[in-house]
Amino acid sequence: MSIQGRRGIRVALPYLLPSLLGALLFAILPIIISLLLSVTNWSGMSRVRLTDGFLKFVAEHFVGLENSKAILSDGEFWRALSHNLYFIILYLPLMLALSMTAALIINAPNRGANVYRVVYYLPVLTSWVAGSLIWKWLLSPVYGPINNALAIIGIEGPLWLQSEVWAMPSIVLASIWKDMGFYAMILLGGLKSINTEYYEAARIDGASKPQMFARITLPLLSSVLFYVSMLSMINAFQLFPQVMVMTKEGNAGPNGATMVMVERIYKYAFRYGKMGYAAAYSWILFVIIMAFTYIQKRGERRWVNYDV
Amino acid sequence: MMFRIHVKGFLYHLLAIVLGILAIIPFLWMISTSLKSGGALLVVPIEWFPKEPTIQAYEKLFALTGMLRSIGNSLVVTSGAVLIALFSSSMAAFAFSKIRFKGSGVLFMLFIASMMLPSHVLFIPLYLIMNDLHLVDTLFALILPYTFKAFAVFMLRQQMMNISDAYLDAAAIDGASLFRSFITVFLPLCKTALATLAIIIAMDAWNDYLLPLVLMTSPKNYTLPIILNALSGQFKTAYDLLMAGSLISVVPLLIIYIGAQRYFASGLQIGGVKG
Amino acid sequence: MKTTRNILSLALFLILVLLPAFSAGTKEAAQGTVTLKLEQFSGSEATLSGEALRGMIAEFEKQNPTIKVELQTIGYDDYFTQLQSKVVGGNAADVFELNYENFVAYASEGALADVTGKLGDTSGFNKTALDAFNYQGVQYGVPNSFSNVVLFYNKALFDQANLAYPTSDWTWKDVEVASKKIMSLEKNIWGFYRPLSFHEFYKGAAQNGGSLMNAERTAFTVNLPQNIEAASLMAGWQNDSKIMPTDADMAGMGDWDLFKSGRLGMLVTGIWAFGDFTANCPFDWDIAIEPGNVQKATHFFSNSYVVSETSKHPAEAAKLAVFLAGSKEATKLRVEASWELPPVTYPEIIDSYLSITPPENREAVFASLDYLVTPPVSIQQAEMQAIIQSYLGQIVSGKMSAKAALDACQKELEAKISL
Repeated sequence: MSIQGRRGIRVALPYLLPSLLGALLFAILPIIISLLLSVTNWSGMSRVRLTDGFLKFVAEHFVGLENSKAILSDGEFWRALSHNLYFIILYLPLMLALSMTAALIINAPNRGANVYRVVYYLPVLTSWVAGSLIWKWLLSPVYGPINNALAIIGIEGPLWLQSEVWAMPSIVLASIWKDMGFYAMILLGGLKSINTEYYEAARIDGASKPQMFARITLPLLSSVLFYVSMLSMINAFQLFPQVMVMTKEGNAGPNGATMVMVERIYKYAFRYGKMGYAAAYSWILFVIIMAFTYIQKRGERRWVNYDV
Repeated sequence: MMFRIHVKGFLYHLLAIVLGILAIIPFLWMISTSLKSGGALLVVPIEWFPKEPTIQAYEKLFALTGMLRSIGNSLVVTSGAVLIALFSSSMAAFAFSKIRFKGSGVLFMLFIASMMLPSHVLFIPLYLIMNDLHLVDTLFALILPYTFKAFAVFMLRQQMMNISDAYLDAAAIDGASLFRSFITVFLPLCKTALATLAIIIAMDAWNDYLLPLVLMTSPKNYTLPIILNALSGQFKTAYDLLMAGSLISVVPLLIIYIGAQRYFASGLQIGGVKG
Repeated sequence: MKTTRNILSLALFLILVLLPAFSAGTKEAAQGTVTLKLEQFSGSEATLSGEALRGMIAEFEKQNPTIKVELQTIGYDDYFTQLQSKVVGGNAADVFELNYENFVAYASEGALADVTGKLGDTSGFNKTALDAFNYQGVQYGVPNSFSNVVLFYNKALFDQANLAYPTSDWTWKDVEVASKKIMSLEKNIWGFYRPLSFHEFYKGAAQNGGSLMNAERTAFTVNLPQNIEAASLMAGWQNDSKIMPTDADMAGMGDWDLFKSGRLGMLVTGIWAFGDFTANCPFDWDIAIEPGNVQKATHFFSNSYVVSETSKHPAEAAKLAVFLAGSKEATKLRVEASWELPPVTYPEIIDSYLSITPPENREAVFASLDYLVTPPVSIQQAEMQAIIQSYLGQIVSGKMSAKAALDACQKELEAKISL
C-alpha cells in the first residue's frame, strides 16, 4: 500500500476510536472535572450531579486560585515535596544499579538465567497489600529477621518504619524490592536488541568485559536507561500505595516522616473533606512532574547516545 | 584458564543468587507463615519452617463469605481489562506508528501527559461519570477505563515503529486492506510485546484496590484486594490468614507469568536501541 | 468520511444507550414492603457484636413486618472512603453509622436528614451522647453506643510492690509515685502508659483545668498555660520521669500487648479492652476512674445512626435507627455482647452488666460518666486532629518545647481550620 493510503485523520480515526473514546470518558472528562473542582472549595462530601447544574455548582463554590495559593504558601507542601525528592535521591540510583545488574544476569548465556528471570519478577507480581505485610514483618524491630540478622553480627537494628530517620529508607527498600524486576525487564529488552556484532568486533580487538560494558552496552542502552529513569521518576513522584499501607495512616509515619504529595492528596480528598483543595494539589504535582520530565528530556540530548 | 572461568561463573551465580534470595525470601516466608497455626506466628527466634504445618488458614479463608465470589469478580475484571486494553491500544499504536495524520504528535504527547496526573483525585469525577452511565457497582466500571492505557499505546507504538513499512507494501500487493494487514501481519509480529503487556495490565487490574473500593459499593461486586484489605483490618495479627490470602492473590498471576515466560525472554522493548 | 461518522455514531450509541442497559436495574420491592439499607463499620460479621446486631435487626423486622433491612458492614478503614463516594453520587444507605468525629462534617454538608421529632421518646438517652449529634439546633442522629476510658492496673504488680490499689482520688502525682515503685521491681517493667496523642491531650488539658477550644467553640485556645503545662507533664512521663516506655522501648509491641504480658503497671485505655484482657491476662487486674490533675475529666467516644438526606423512606429509617440505638430489646443484646455502653439506661439491664467480672470495680465505668468531656470538634475534624497530633509529636521527640509547639499549633489551627 502506498504512503497515500496511510495518510490523513480519516484513515487513522477508526483505529484511534476505541482509545479516544476511553480517553474522553475515563481520562479527559475526569481531568476536566478535576480542573473545575480545583478552583472550588467543595468538600467532596455532598451530592453532586454532572448532568444537572454542574457548572452552577462550580460557580457557587468558586474560590479561584485560593487553593493553589494556600497550598504553595503552606510549609507542609514543601515538606511533602522534599520527602518525594529525598525518596527519588535514595531510590533512583540504587534501583538503576540493581535492575541493571539483574538484567545483565538474566541476559548472560548461562544456565539458570531462566530461573532468575522468574524469581526476580516475583515481587512485581505481588500487590502492595501483600507486599506491605511482608515488609512490615521483615522490618519489625523485635520479631523481624532483618534486625535478628543484624543482632548476630552485633548491630542493634533501627526501629525502621517506626523511626523518623529510617521510615523513608524503609519505604525505599521495599519499593526497590518490588520494582527491580520490572525495570530489569525493560533493560533486558534493550540488551537483547544490541547487535552482537559489536561485541564480536570488540572481542577481536581484545577488549575486556568491563571495557565492553562501558564502551558498548552503556552507550547503546542510554536511551533505554533514559526511559527507565523517566518512567521511574514519574512513578516516584506519585509514590503512595506503599506509604499508605506501610506507615500509620493517621500520622503519615513517625512525625510525618513519610508524608509525601500523593499521600497528602489522598488525605485531603478522602479524609479531610477538601476535594477542591486536593484537586488543586494534584494539578500542582502535575506541573512539577511535567517540569522534571522536561528537564530530563532536555538533558537527554547530553547523555543519551543515539549515534554510535 | 579453566579456573578463571570457574571463578567468573561462581561470581555470576553468587551475585545472581544474592539478588534472588532478596526477591524470594519474602515468598518463602509467606508460604511458611500461611501453614503455621496461630501460636507459632510471633516466635523469637523465627521459625522458618512450621513445626506442625496446617492448612487451617486456607480452610478459614475459603469459608469466609464472599471470598470465592471476589476471586471470580477479579478474574472477570482482569480478563476483561486485558482484552479490551490490548485491543484498543494496539489499534491506536498502529495509527500512531503507521498512519500519518495531522496532530498525530500532539495527540500522542497528550496521551503521554495523561500518565502524569495523579489518579486519586480523578476517583470522584470518575465515580460521577460512572454514576451517570449507571455503571457504578457493576464490573463494567472497572473494565471500561482500560480502553485507554497510555503506557500500552506507548510501548506498542515503539514496537510497531521497528516493523518495516515493507510489510505494509507486501500486504498491499496481495490486495489486503490496511486493517487486514494490521490483524494478520502486525499483531502477530507484536506477539511478544502483547504478551508482556497482557501481564502488566493483568497485574494492574488484579491488584488494583482503591478504585474498586470507590466504585464497587456492594459486597457482591467486591474484588479480591478489597476482601484482602478488609481482612488485614479485621484480623490485624492473624498473619497465617493474611499470608494465605496474599499467596492466593499471587498464584494466578504467577501461573500466567510462567506460562508466558518465553515471551519475556527478550524483555520489554521501550526506547529504541540504535544498533 | 461517511464510514468514520458511522463508526463514531455507532460507538456513541453503544456507550450512551447500551451500557446503562447492562447495569443492574434497581430492584423493585414487593408490594407494600419497604426495604431499608443499613451500613455500619462497627459490629463486623464474625464477632459477638455482629451476632448481636443481626439479632437486633431480626427483632426489628419481627415488630415491623412491612420493613425489610439490608445490612452491610464495612471495615473501618474502607468505610469512610466508600461512604464519601456514595454520598456524592446520592447512593448513601438509608441509615448509616457515623462516629462523633465525622458527624459534624456530614451534618454541615447537608448529607443528613433532620430527625427531630421522628425519634419518639428520647428522655431515656444519655444527654451528653444525644446532644453530641445535634448540629446547630437540629437533631441529625441518634447515639447507638458510647464508650469511655478508664485506668487499668495490674493487681499482681501492685501487690508485689506493696502498693495500695488506685482509687478515684488519685492524681497524676500518685501515678508517678506508684510507677516508680513498680519499675524498681525488675528491669523491663514500666509503670504507666498514656501517650501524648490528640485524644489523650484534649482530656489531659481538661484534667489540668485547660481546654483546646473556648466553651462556645468559636476559637482555639490550644496554647493556654494550663495546656502547655499538661503537655509538658505528659511528655515528661516518657522523657523525664521515664515511667512510660518510649516507642524504642516498645519495639513494635502494642500497649495492650505490653499490659497483657504483665510488664506494665497501669494503662489508660478504652473499656473495649475488657474482653481481650479477660481472656488473655494471666494475672488479676482491675480498673479505676482515670486520675486527673487539678480536676477529673474522662473520655467520650460515641457512634451514631443517621438517616441519609436522600433516603426515600425517612420515617421508617428513623424508626430503625432509634430502635437499634435505644430499644430495650436492642440494649439487652448489646449489653450481653459487651458491645460498648448502651446510650439508654435500663436499670435491670445495667445490673446484669455490673455483675460481670473482671473487672471487679465495674462501677467505675459508670462513675466515669460524671466527668465526661467531649473532644473539640470542627467541620475539618480529621485535619484538625492531624495538625494537633503533629505538634504533640514534636514535643515528645524533644524537637520543640511544649510552649513553642502549642504556640505554633494555635497559629496553624487559626489559619487552616474554620470554626
